[in-house]
Amino acid sequence: MRKYWITAGMAATAFMGDSPLFLLDYVLRFLRVAVLLSLWRVLLTGREEVDGMTLGAVLTYTWAAEVFREQLECRTELPMALWDGGIATRLLRPMGLVAQFAADMFGRWGLGFCAFSLPLALCAPLLGVSPLPASPAAALLFPTSLALGVSVGLALEFAFGALMIAYEQNVYTFGSVRRALTSLLSGALLPLAILPWDLGRVFQWLPFAATASAPLRIYTGTEEPLPLLAMQAGWSLALWPLAGWLWRTHRERLACHGG
Amino acid sequence: MAVRRRAGTVARVLRLWRLYGTMDFIYMTRSPRSFLMYTLSDLLLTVAAITAMLLLAERFAGIGPWTRDQVVFLLGYSVTVRGLLDLFFNYNVLFIGRRVGRGQLDHTLVQPQPLWMSLLTEGFAPFTGGATVLPGVGLMLWAGERLGLAVSPGWLALLGVNLAASGMVVFAVAYIMGSLAFWAPRGAEEINTSWMHMVDQLKSMPLDGAGDALLAGLTGVLPLGFVAWHPCRALLGHDRSATGASLTCVAALLLAGVALLAFRLGLKQYGRTGSQRYSGLGHRG
Repeated sequence: MRKYWITAGMAATAFMGDSPLFLLDYVLRFLRVAVLLSLWRVLLTGREEVDGMTLGAVLTYTWAAEVFREQLECRTELPMALWDGGIATRLLRPMGLVAQFAADMFGRWGLGFCAFSLPLALCAPLLGVSPLPASPAAALLFPTSLALGVSVGLALEFAFGALMIAYEQNVYTFGSVRRALTSLLSGALLPLAILPWDLGRVFQWLPFAATASAPLRIYTGTEEPLPLLAMQAGWSLALWPLAGWLWRTHRERLACHGG
Repeated sequence: MAVRRRAGTVARVLRLWRLYGTMDFIYMTRSPRSFLMYTLSDLLLTVAAITAMLLLAERFAGIGPWTRDQVVFLLGYSVTVRGLLDLFFNYNVLFIGRRVGRGQLDHTLVQPQPLWMSLLTEGFAPFTGGATVLPGVGLMLWAGERLGLAVSPGWLALLGVNLAASGMVVFAVAYIMGSLAFWAPRGAEEINTSWMHMVDQLKSMPLDGAGDALLAGLTGVLPLGFVAWHPCRALLGHDRSATGASLTCVAALLLAGVALLAFRLGLKQYGRTGSQRYSGLGHRG
């Protein structure tokens, strides 16, 4: 395990190597959550409940989505490694490929947790948001749901990576489209329950919802937790074999020319 | 003499736009697959960029003081601004921190023409970058029709000037931030990405509910309010004052001045230090 810890530590400190300007990214994210919270207040003030969600629950949902954003998005360095040829050296390392990208990702989470998630969590009262989970049961089940979400997210990451190789697509174009689609379909930006025309009922069964909507709904106590956990476990079991098959089938087609 | 020189400069800019436009067309159509991917991704990105606000506006029959159709106009305006920036300043001209941080500004500096001319022309990408302008204009036309806007030459001029000013605001902030890469090449290389993500996520949100402090931050410090919200307030009659109509232009001019200053200071620094990002093998370190 030591080699994975060291990989995580290197990833965590790499961002701080040159200058503290990376902190600006966190300032921008803080502003983003403040704007989103103000938007919900405009929309929901004066309404008792919208589709089972009170204003308080929506604010907590939005706040938690930003605090745990990196875990809910679950992005590794795989696309960049495919883009700049770094995958070649990754494949030569005496470590599992998924595990080393995951270790990288966990390392970056450590930095994000200290520089952004923790300060935002502490600022919750200042933002007028209740940071507490809806119930003790929600507090207990949330970490399990989050872990299942990360598992689904990692499987999706490798499935998308394999598809990118298969279709020989530009990493930025592919990444932008994926980011744009998943931010909506996962429920990380807007709670799926609030979407019009019952769209949320459709989206909630997609694997993207397993990565963000499910843990956030458990945290806010706005949905029965057990069906959500079952859905997440189901997607995790279904996607890993698929991601593994896609990766094994297409990785030989990879051609890199450096960055 | 001066007039002839200016005419020559304009002609050269137009020639370069034509050249880069042709290259962009060849790049996009080099294979049916890439053509399809670009078209599809542009379409998906445009739809995804506006869907969240559109769904909220539909669900709540508007957002705050904005009716559903006014929100659609706001979305159309913001998409058009973003599309114009992608149309004229593609290939990392807008993401200038990348060029500076990677040492790629050298590629531009060695060209036998002024730096401003290179930056104005080499990012021209009407095919790979400008595809979102049409949907943006379409949304504005559709919403304008439903809103029964009294379109006069004066209103159209206000729209055109505000679109240019909104674009200039985004561009100027990108250059103010990107100039930091002259001092911190690696740390600020992707600083423009943070800014543009912020623009993409928040450009089409009505900011009416933001408190005074947040609103001051979103207009004075990070001027996101000028990307679409402020100008649309003036265009749709939420703010009929002369100040409201001219505020985006004033902000654009001020920010352009600051950006020019920051970039010039950065260039001076670059003249002393240059870039050491390229290793012997040609990869940046």
